[in-house]
Amino acid sequence: MRKDRKDEVSLDNCLKCTDCNTACPVVTAHPAYPGPKRLGPELERMRREGIECDTEWVEYCLGCHRCDLACPNQVNVSELIARAKAAHKKTPVRRLRDFWLARPGLLGKLNTIVPEVTNFSLGLKPVRKLMSMFMKITPERKFPAYTKPDLRTPNVVAMNKGERVVFFPGCFIQYNQPELGRRVLELLELNGFQPEVASTGCCGVPSLANGNSEEAYKRATANVNSMMEAVNSGARIVTACSSCGHMLKTGFAHLLEDDPDLATKAAKIAANTYDLAELLVAQQDAGKFNTRFAPATATLKLAYHAPCHQKSQGIGRPWYHLLRQVPGVEIEDLNAGCCGMSGTFGFKEEKYPVSMEVGGELFAAISATAPQAVVTECATCQMQIEHGTGFKAVHPAIVLLNAYATDAKQYSFTADTSGKPKDDNMPSCA
Amino acid sequence: MSNVASNHFDVIIAGAGVAGLTSAAAAASRGLRVALVSSGPGTFVFGAGCVEIQNMNSKTPSLAEAIAFFCKLTDLAGCGFYGAIDEHRYIPTILGSFQAVSLAPFYMWNGDPSASNEVAVVGIKGLSSFNSQFIAERLATHASDLGQSAAYVAKEIALSVEPGAIPGTLRFGHRYDREPRFREELRNALKPIASNVDLIALPGILGLKSGRKEIEWLERELGCMICEIPTLPPSIPGLRLFNRLEVHLRKIGVEFFLGFPIQQLLIKEGRCKGVLLETPGRPQKITSETLILATGQFSGKLLPTPSFSFTTDLRPVDSTGAVIADNIFAAGAILQNTPAHAGNAIAILTGYVCGMAAAGVGAQYAQGSQG
Ligand SMILES: Cc1cc2nc3c(=O)[nH]c(=O)nc-3n(C[C@H](O)[C@H](O)[C@H](O)COP(=O)(O)OP(=O)(O)OC[C@H]3O[C@@H](n4cnc5c(N)ncnc54)[C@H](O)[C@@H]3O)c2cc1C
Ligand code: SF4
Ligand code: SF4
Repeated sequence: MRKDRKDEVSLDNCLKCTDCNTACPVVTAHPAYPGPKRLGPELERMRREGIECDTEWVEYCLGCHRCDLACPNQVNVSELIARAKAAHKKTPVRRLRDFWLARPGLLGKLNTIVPEVTNFSLGLKPVRKLMSMFMKITPERKFPAYTKPDLRTPNVVAMNKGERVVFFPGCFIQYNQPELGRRVLELLELNGFQPEVASTGCCGVPSLANGNSEEAYKRATANVNSMMEAVNSGARIVTACSSCGHMLKTGFAHLLEDDPDLATKAAKIAANTYDLAELLVAQQDAGKFNTRFAPATATLKLAYHAPCHQKSQGIGRPWYHLLRQVPGVEIEDLNAGCCGMSGTFGFKEEKYPVSMEVGGELFAAISATAPQAVVTECATCQMQIEHGTGFKAVHPAIVLLNAYATDAKQYSFTADTSGKPKDDNMPSCA
Repeated sequence: MSNVASNHFDVIIAGAGVAGLTSAAAAASRGLRVALVSSGPGTFVFGAGCVEIQNMNSKTPSLAEAIAFFCKLTDLAGCGFYGAIDEHRYIPTILGSFQAVSLAPFYMWNGDPSASNEVAVVGIKGLSSFNSQFIAERLATHASDLGQSAAYVAKEIALSVEPGAIPGTLRFGHRYDREPRFREELRNALKPIASNVDLIALPGILGLKSGRKEIEWLERELGCMICEIPTLPPSIPGLRLFNRLEVHLRKIGVEFFLGFPIQQLLIKEGRCKGVLLETPGRPQKITSETLILATGQFSGKLLPTPSFSFTTDLRPVDSTGAVIADNIFAAGAILQNTPAHAGNAIAILTGYVCGMAAAGVGAQYAQGSQG
């Protein structure tokens, strides 16, 4: 990342062109939101001069980075707002709620001790009412179901001598979607990798989003340290959740910049982190992507939603293009903005209406497309889409894995005991 | 467009201004796989993209073709431009002056004083940046200077303001896109004025995403012509042009990498293999057969030479006259000799020529024929 974005941002870079405001989904949805130009560079100037300008509006920022991408002058707009958010003073009730929302890893651990009980009680109307009264969590939404965490490094048969990669599951896959985690591992194996599961916790995005940079700092430190060995040995890190991916690529370095040792480690992790689809496209460019797909028996009409934290990684639209190669798949890129969920934002009672208003454009685009399923790699985008439209939303990895022929494995490179691809094993591009 | 996921493209276009978008469209129209990379949008918040042709004429090579291509492109995108090389129209500005143009989008084209007898300049209560009284008075004077007899009256309408909102063109633009009720409210407010005039000139607020259908709806309902006047940034008509072109280009297969500056051009032995983008974590590498640099006025430092100029087929050369890379072309304001207020004409012409060149279609840009 360019220096002035990551480090000290020159406020003089801001030419007040308002490009950032025109890209902000909250500006679109909330008539009174002051917008990134005001909350970012303009207020930062005052904050630096010690002028009191704390405002609750910083809490309404989704952290979607759309302002950053729109700024032609590389002002670090959303980072400036995130810092103001961390310094913002909250009411006690919100402090309590945000304590929990900032720690989905802890919540996951507690809730998955006996997941059946958690899911049962979170589903009860009265419980949801109480959470609304005491925690200011909207009763409109259902909580995601928790599952026993049993995502482990696969016991790969000795014959798999593929390139070692480390899968960073993050808390949602670990506690709510371990099944997806297993599919990711399978996909990696099918494409010549030898995957293992990182023994890490939450990436820290939720802590940052809830203005808790101390917790985020702890998460970043723990994660960085636990992945260093793998990275030093040349392994790449793979993320399947776009928010985790964004965090590993930028957030750790931001958080740890004051500690030279940790900062170096964070930069190394960042440089070696790949989104799953990004990795698969690289594999394709190297002629090593497994295209042993089953022949199509029917058409599958899909709509793709690119999560904000996917767009902010600058890797193009790898999932959209990968799925276009699958026989029978018809996929449309919705390109209809932010879903409005922003992780825990949409759970907060006072923010629920804004969350739904932001998602309005996306909901309309989905309804107009009427797909058999929406694919998107972010779990909270999936929740918001299902909540806002009733259409099913799944991770693209599931669609891709399902597309492989039953004998795809024997054609994958790693099935070769020598570990090296052989030409006659080349899956043909039909 | 091939159906394959890859970071290799036929052509990379750097810059999302008028030049970059035009060349992306030209290359894609010839079936090339196009990546458009850019650190941000072009100068669209500052204007509406009107085109003034200076020091060029119908004899300028490729100009007629490029202009026709741009009009067709914008039409397909839903924000069609009207006009031609030898056309001269006068479009009202927020300062109450007239800007001479050869091409303008359909939502501004009718602002020419010869097109109407009675014009209402309509301000909106609370929108302080648009002074309809001042604009109407000045337009009347300037119209008569141009030998036109159109009469200008100032009007003001009141629109509902949401709680906590400050009236602004961006807010109104979003509401025009999103709220059918707002569009009806605007129509109802304008209706009494429309019955007495043949043109309504109003601040640019008719949507950031709207196209011909949404804007012509209002004209039809009112039974009179409409001309938007772009305000101080952000200019809603300018943003609309960018948004509509982006959506259209995506539809024809252009891959966008928006928000990431080019860090380095990968030039080796006289050829450019691709670019490195400043992306999170590590630079993203994208490769291509051809690179078109449309990165605007102050972007010359991307080239690995302190001083440079361009050949007639728009290849950058160093101070010794040697081509820097035989597959790099340059378009738009980076050519450095563009007069500020005729920048769009050159951006369209050179963008088109470069896009075609990438597709192996030799179009000529004779540099000598402009000022
Ligand atoms: C206030 C103002 C008013 C104007 N009014 C008019 C007018 O009325 N009529 C007229 O004809 N012209 C006008 N112009 C000039 C006109 O806007 C430009 O000359 C013309 O649009 C140039 O287009 P372009 O595509 O070459 O460059 P730009 O629109 O400047 O686009 C450059 C693009 O390159 C990108 N970029 C820059 N550096 C990098 C990098 N390192 N990596 C990746 N991307 C990069 C930028 O983000 C941007 O997207 C005006 C200009 C201004 C500033
Ligand atoms: S887009 Fe960038 S330069 Fe423009 S107002 Fe926003 S922060 Fe400032
Ligand atoms: S990060 Fe997103 S929500 Fe926050 S100010 Fe920027 S564009 Fe708006």
